[in-house]
Amino acid sequence: MTFILLPWLELALIFPLAGALAVLAVRSPVHALRWCLGALTISLLFATGAAVDHFIAAEHTRAPPFQDFALDHATAPMAPVLLLLHVLAALGSSKSRVTKSACLRVLASAFIGLAALSTTEGGVLILLLSVAALMPAWDMTSRARPPQAYLAYIVPILAMMVVGWSLLQQPDAPTWAVGLLLAGVVLYGGVFPLHGWMPTLFGNAGFGGALLAVLPLLQIVAALRLVLPIAPDELLTAAAFASLFTAVYAGGMAATQRQARRFFAYLCLSQTSLVMFAVLLHTPAGVAAALCLWISAALSLSGLAFSLRALEARFGPLSLREHHGFYEQVPSKAVCFLVAGLGVVGFPGLIGFVPMELLISGSFEQGLWVSAALAVAAMLNGVAIMRAYFSLFTGKRPTTSVPLRVTATERTGLVVIVVLMLVGGWFSPHVVASRHAAAEAILAGRAQPTP
Amino acid sequence: MIDSATLLTLLGLAIIAAPAGLLASFFLAFMLDRRPSEESVGRILKAAIAVSLLAAITAAGVMIGTGRDHYPIVLGDWVVAPNFHLRFQFILDLLSLSYVILALVLCNIIGAFSTRYLHRERGYNRFFVLFAIFLLGMVVAALSDTVETLFAGWEMVGLSSVLLIAFFQERPAPPRNGLRVWIVYRVCDAALMLAAVLMHELSGGGDFDHLVGAGAWPHVGEVPMAPHFVLLGALFVIAAAGKSALIPFSGWLPRAMEGPTPSSAVFYGALSVHLGAFLLLRINPLLASSVWLSAVVVALGLVTAVFAFLAGRVQTDIKSALAFASLAQVGIIFAEIGLGLDYLALVHLLGHACLRTLQFVRAPSLLHDHHQLENAIGARPEDEKPGWEHKLSPRWQARLYRFSLERGYLDSLLEKLAVRPFLWLFHGLDALDRGIAARLGDRSISAWAPKPRRPE
Repeated sequence: MTFILLPWLELALIFPLAGALAVLAVRSPVHALRWCLGALTISLLFATGAAVDHFIAAEHTRAPPFQDFALDHATAPMAPVLLLLHVLAALGSSKSRVTKSACLRVLASAFIGLAALSTTEGGVLILLLSVAALMPAWDMTSRARPPQAYLAYIVPILAMMVVGWSLLQQPDAPTWAVGLLLAGVVLYGGVFPLHGWMPTLFGNAGFGGALLAVLPLLQIVAALRLVLPIAPDELLTAAAFASLFTAVYAGGMAATQRQARRFFAYLCLSQTSLVMFAVLLHTPAGVAAALCLWISAALSLSGLAFSLRALEARFGPLSLREHHGFYEQVPSKAVCFLVAGLGVVGFPGLIGFVPMELLISGSFEQGLWVSAALAVAAMLNGVAIMRAYFSLFTGKRPTTSVPLRVTATERTGLVVIVVLMLVGGWFSPHVVASRHAAAEAILAGRAQPTP
Repeated sequence: MIDSATLLTLLGLAIIAAPAGLLASFFLAFMLDRRPSEESVGRILKAAIAVSLLAAITAAGVMIGTGRDHYPIVLGDWVVAPNFHLRFQFILDLLSLSYVILALVLCNIIGAFSTRYLHRERGYNRFFVLFAIFLLGMVVAALSDTVETLFAGWEMVGLSSVLLIAFFQERPAPPRNGLRVWIVYRVCDAALMLAAVLMHELSGGGDFDHLVGAGAWPHVGEVPMAPHFVLLGALFVIAAAGKSALIPFSGWLPRAMEGPTPSSAVFYGALSVHLGAFLLLRINPLLASSVWLSAVVVALGLVTAVFAFLAGRVQTDIKSALAFASLAQVGIIFAEIGLGLDYLALVHLLGHACLRTLQFVRAPSLLHDHHQLENAIGARPEDEKPGWEHKLSPRWQARLYRFSLERGYLDSLLEKLAVRPFLWLFHGLDALDRGIAARLGDRSISAWAPKPRRPE
């Protein structure tokens, strides 16, 4: 089958960089936001083209400096998803608060994320993940928030990844180097009790910046490409159960939080842990579920965050201890919050339903209690979301002197999210088939390890 | 000339497509940022239910005319993976058609009632969107022939139920009660989800005919006696008990009365509260395969019936009294199912749903009805005579009264055994997390320090 011969991936990678140059050239932050949004939208189109190109066209060689970048079956659908997250983050930025440096960070994050998804070099992947993990420190510094707490968590994690990977490149690599790399990757996903970087990140960085640092779930790329081919079964199983425990723990924490941002941080932690658990199961059903859940969790959580950000922009930090009554002011945000939230917990007909069912079914061979633990995690996440919904959107209508209705730009974002949640639920068959093929390809690589 | 099988397939699809179309029209209005008028909402609703009901009645007529006792509608596999498949499959049989016709008739009545009852109410459109979700959920659950489609309908019913309990959202109590109900629903949904997974493993798919046989309801087939099947049955019973507010989940039912009266009528008087019984009727061979499971269902039903009778005697508002009266009947229906009296349970369910809906919709005009009655007979009706409880000693009367007034202490028991330990654990872990972050220099922790506690 033929597809328009364009260097899709290269163009998708170049446009965020070109957008960054344009942002540097303009003075007004509002113009910078427009350039940023334009560059990301174009990059999204090219990333979509690159994903389609991967599935329907033959492999083609790339010219330098892009010869080491290529999408594979596992990461191809994530390229447009990643760019969409960035577009939504830019759409959700308030014009009155946006800064040029924030726009630059969004563009840089888009480039790094896309490069991490498509790089074929392990070392480059580790480098890109490290830069992506350190980007929020820049955000915190620009907001006059000390980043030391975040760095205290994340630097040792990155060091474990870097040292583990470096040791594995040696001809006589010690066996514990795999464990070190695995520990780094799993901790980057957030594992109890060393998960504290995620609530710290959401507490100190801007919501958009924190979101872009967490939601692409780039640690899954590292797990799929670096860890899964070489890690022994016992280590993977142990790490999987640590992730499962974290998913349940974070679900419980999300259900009992008193601040919206911490609620969201723990919800992200729970979802990240579920995806990581599924990857580390290293069975075709588990990895296929992980690849589906990766897409659905990233999109649903970004929809939830989109609503929360818009509320924060209007009403400041949000407490979950009282009922705010925002429904009367912004009913469409309430709908978006609920639909995206239900998408996160796998409500039937929405994007998360099939991945969650696949995950729970796929883990049955580990024992019914594993499926039960997953069902409990989903249940706790569901309780957390409905509690947050009732806290934010029910209660007495707040009185404001200015209208707080959604803007046209925000409405576009809302419509995109709601459509994705619904349509994503109905196009699952094709996605599942392709994810299963990708999972089998990944695990076939594990059968012939190439350390 | 169209053959009967094709006709039944088309009719079955029409039963589901009409409520789906209703929901889609609301969704389209949301996407286009349009707010339909009260008249158009009422008209679309009536049209959708009429189409669906007509299709259901015609399907029943065709089945009777052609002598078919059941007809599966297989729409194919939706998701296929080596260890998993999700199939769209519905069934037309005595149980599904009875329940779906009941649901559509009652929704038609309540829909028409609500267009007047909620006239100019803020949230009019929100009510009907949730009503449409409920209707679709109920139709999908009633016609489902796979556990996944049943789960989809089940969840839609649960969601709409919770959001309608919180319908009067400016007051603090409805959202709180809605959240409580949601928590109970989620616990029971987890049981149903696990049952679905176990069913896939045991019978190789989520289709009910794989599990209980492909015959016509109620003489479907036999299920082998095995520990895994008992576990599967127990998970279904937990799910059903939660949905139907059986003990120990009964505490949510009076809380659900916070919603508007039409939704209380159709949810807790008629349809939603019977969905658990419907599920057990659908899997009746599974219950029949284990004496212990049947005994548990009978015991659960009878204990709930006695409890609901006692609690209902001391309620001081009409909706709560009706809720407990419903629960008592649901308990008896469960006992009938446990005893294997499937036809009786189905007839009981249908009759009870109709009676209770009527009582609920008359509830707001109870005083008016009493005045009319007094005017008609020219005197006050006689007070209720002392019942059997007067034969008890005063001490036991007081105990029984307190037990009934406190609704069997179920809420406080659940709070003491489940809620408080859960909150204690996670608030403690949260304090630990915050402490570590503060020591590492996270300044946001002080900004997030909890304010003086208000009641949650």
